[in-house]
Order: sequence, then C-alpha cells, then structure tokens
Amino acid sequence: MIRFGPLIVLAALLALWQAAGMAMRVETLPTPLAVLPELWALFASGEIWGDLRASLYRLAAGFVLALATGVPLGILCGRSAAVRGFVSPLLALFYPVPKAALIPILMLWLGAGDLSKITIIYLSVTLPIVYHGQQGAAAVEEKLVWSARAMGTGRAGVLLRIILPASLPELLLGVRVAIVIGLIVMISSEMIVRQNGLGYDIFNAMDMAQYRLTYAVIVVVAVLGFVLDATFERLRRRLTFWAPERQDQLPTGA
Amino acid sequence: MIRLDRVSKTYTRAGGGEPVRALSEISADIADGAFVTIVGPSGCGKSTLLYIVGGFVPASGGAVLVEGKPIAGPGPDRGPVFQEFALFPWKTVRQNIRFGLAEQNVPRAEADRRVDELLDLVHLRQYAALYPKELSGGMKQRVAIARTLAYRPRTLLMDEPFGALDAHTRAKLQDELLQIWERERKTVLFITHGVDEAVYLSDRILVMSAAPGAIKADIAVDLPRPRRREELLRHPRYQELVIEIGRMMDTTA
Repeated sequence: MIRFGPLIVLAALLALWQAAGMAMRVETLPTPLAVLPELWALFASGEIWGDLRASLYRLAAGFVLALATGVPLGILCGRSAAVRGFVSPLLALFYPVPKAALIPILMLWLGAGDLSKITIIYLSVTLPIVYHGQQGAAAVEEKLVWSARAMGTGRAGVLLRIILPASLPELLLGVRVAIVIGLIVMISSEMIVRQNGLGYDIFNAMDMAQYRLTYAVIVVVAVLGFVLDATFERLRRRLTFWAPERQDQLPTGA
Repeated sequence: MIRLDRVSKTYTRAGGGEPVRALSEISADIADGAFVTIVGPSGCGKSTLLYIVGGFVPASGGAVLVEGKPIAGPGPDRGPVFQEFALFPWKTVRQNIRFGLAEQNVPRAEADRRVDELLDLVHLRQYAALYPKELSGGMKQRVAIARTLAYRPRTLLMDEPFGALDAHTRAKLQDELLQIWERERKTVLFITHGVDEAVYLSDRILVMSAAPGAIKADIAVDLPRPRRREELLRHPRYQELVIEIGRMMDTTA
C-alpha cells in the first residue's frame, strides 16, 4: 500500500481539484478534466517546446556557472579563515535578499534578454551551494586530512581528493535546495521580464483571460520541478550511497 | 631514531585569558624498532604529543627530530593510526589501502600486489569491496592499520587505536598488532590509558602526568618476547608492572 502512497495522494488532490472546480463553476478555476485537452494541445501543437527549451536553457546556464564557481568558493570558505572572512559578510548580506527584487536593476544593466535572467538565476542558486559547500568542508574530520597528509598528499590534493568527496553529502543537499530556488527564480524572472519561457506563458495566458491555458502551463511547471528534483535525488543517492545515513532535509523555497 | 627535544605546547584560549600549558618541555629518545607506549590520565596531552610527532600540530617550543633532522610537517615516514579510524568513507576497503600508494606514485601493478598482501595480513581479503560503513569497528581499525602499513612508514603513530573497540576485539587486535610488529619491527609510538594494554605490548612505557603534561616515569618492560597473553597474565613481573604503573596513574590524575 505504502508503495502507492504518492499515487493515492496525487489522485486525491486531482479529485479535490475536480470537485472544487465543479462546485464553484467559475472561469478562474477550470477542472483538471477541462485543463487536460489544453495541456494536450500545448504539446501536440509543439507550442510549449520553444518556451520549455528557453526556460531550461537559462536554468542550466545559471546552474553550471553556479556549480563552477560556488563549489570551489564554498570549499575554500570551509577550509580557510581568510577566504571565509571575505565571503561570509557577502553571504550574510545577500542571502536574505529576495533575488527577484534585483531583477529590475539587472534588466537595466544587462537588457531584457537571456543574460539578465541567467545572471539572476546564477546569483540565487550560488548562495545555497556556497553555504552548504562551506558547511560540508568545515565539518570534514581533521584526521582524514591528517591521514592523507601523512601519505604525502599536498594541499591541493587534500582539497580535491579528501575535502571535496567528504563534503559531497552536504554539498549535494545544497544543490537540491538550489534546484528549487532556481526554478522559482526562473519562473519569476520570466514573469517580470516578459519575453518567452514558461513564466511568460503563465502570465501571458492569464492576461488574455485564457485560464485553462494558465493552469495547463502551471501543471507543466509543476511536473518539470518534480521531475528535476526526483532525478537529482536519484543522482544524489547514487553519489553518496557510501555516506552514513542522516535525516534528509526538506528543501526550502526562497 | 626519533628525538623529542624539550617539546612544549601552549594553547591560547579563544575567549582570551591565561594561555593553557598542555605540554611542558618533554624530552625523550625513541629507538628504532622499539615499541614505546605513552600512558597517562585523560587530558594529560599524550595525544597532542603524538600529533606533534606526526607533524599534524605544531609545537609551541622545542623540536621533534627524525634521524637528527627537525620535522617539517607530516611525512610518509610517520604513519598515523587514529582511534576514530579516519577511513575515507567514499572508498572501498581496497581503495582505502591503496590510497597512500597512489599518492606515493607506486606503479599500478606493484600497488595492487601490495594491497593484496595487506588484505591477507589483516584478514580482510573477502571484504575488499565493502565500504567503511558496512564494517564493524574492529574491521575498520584493521583497514586503517593496513592503509598505514601499505606505504611502509618507519614509525607507526598509534593514538589509542583500540580505545573504541569492545574488550574481545581489542585483545584480538592487540595480538595481531604484536604479530605484525614481530615481523616488521617498525618503531611504534603508542598512546593509551590502558595500563595492561601498555605493559602487554611495549618495550618501554613513558608515564605522563597532567596539567601541564610531563613525563613522570620512564619504565623498561623487561618481559620476554614474543608475548603470549596467557603466559604473560600469569607472569609475576607483568602483574608487578601493571600494579606499579596503575598506582602512578592514580597519583597523577
């Protein structure tokens, strides 16, 4: 039974939605059965693909940049008081700022195209990666490092072959949080800077009072988020199967 | 030979205030091939002393000399074994043992041979593909010992290596360590607070007192080798030493 738990919950939610839609009979709450054809049409006409691709491209670009810079920075922060001294205040300052609030400024500087959106995604997802990377690297048992040092491992080797793998479980929790934040920022940036993408689709449909379409795109976004998170979760478990079990933290949105 | 020349360690407290003197001018010569154990009450700084010899923690004063040369940090001539095992959890037993050989650029085929040799030595051949979290404490410490022996350090620095194990496993590993030592005759600097363990294993015992840590007595263990547990436990000299050192520990605590 427990195996089917998620399916049962999903079915119950859909049923609730269907019941609410049928009871309220308003245009702004179409039933799932009414949204379904709209969803089908989105994919059948191929309309959605261009926006999906545009959104995913920005998310991926921001994410790759964030991993490339955030992982080394986080690890260095965890291991060097000097680096931490510079980065910690920045982190403390920017972490609580709602990144979407920066979008207008970035738009002024970087234009209304991909660049401003990639930048805002990058800024948003880098922070949790740096933060968790730092936590992971700082918590590495010193005796692992000593053992390697005695074997002749140099400082760079220690960072790469000891600290990085040892921090991986914590680091990947940060990446999971970053994926959720990345999706949020991806959608909100596309809502604010209307050009294309899934966030644009949602608001555009809404403005034109095409509520069924609005709901259909929201379903696409929700499924996308679920698939990305579930895929990453599988990857994370494969990469850290060796780690002693710990309570998994639920990712929190921003 | 390893020479401790007036080694001191002082900690400055994080909150300010008087610095704490952990070790006070400790001098000793550790002969090649000797099994030397440092015993002392907890907090006497015996582990700190070992970390200084390993080059992991800097001394505040004095020097550690290996073959007459002051050490500059850790080195493969001094291999540590820690109470916490400190295995690399993302590596299998085999990969753990192999790590130091790779770091020392030992050719692949030779490294593989050496790892097999060590897996046999510590009776872990059939567990080679397991990860540390799948092993018992005793097996973990066997892997740690094999990992350190792999790169052939001249000296083993053992920091309460059997402290986290149950009595039965501890006795077994003590016997295995003695067998290995009889064969390889490495210098061993061993830390413990177990007096009977110290007497059973060592050629020489340094008894430390606390606050600040200092060597209070230097005792030669004149018991025959190779040692067999049952014989030794009945040996009057063994009992004498255990009682004598135990009494010293009581008065230094």
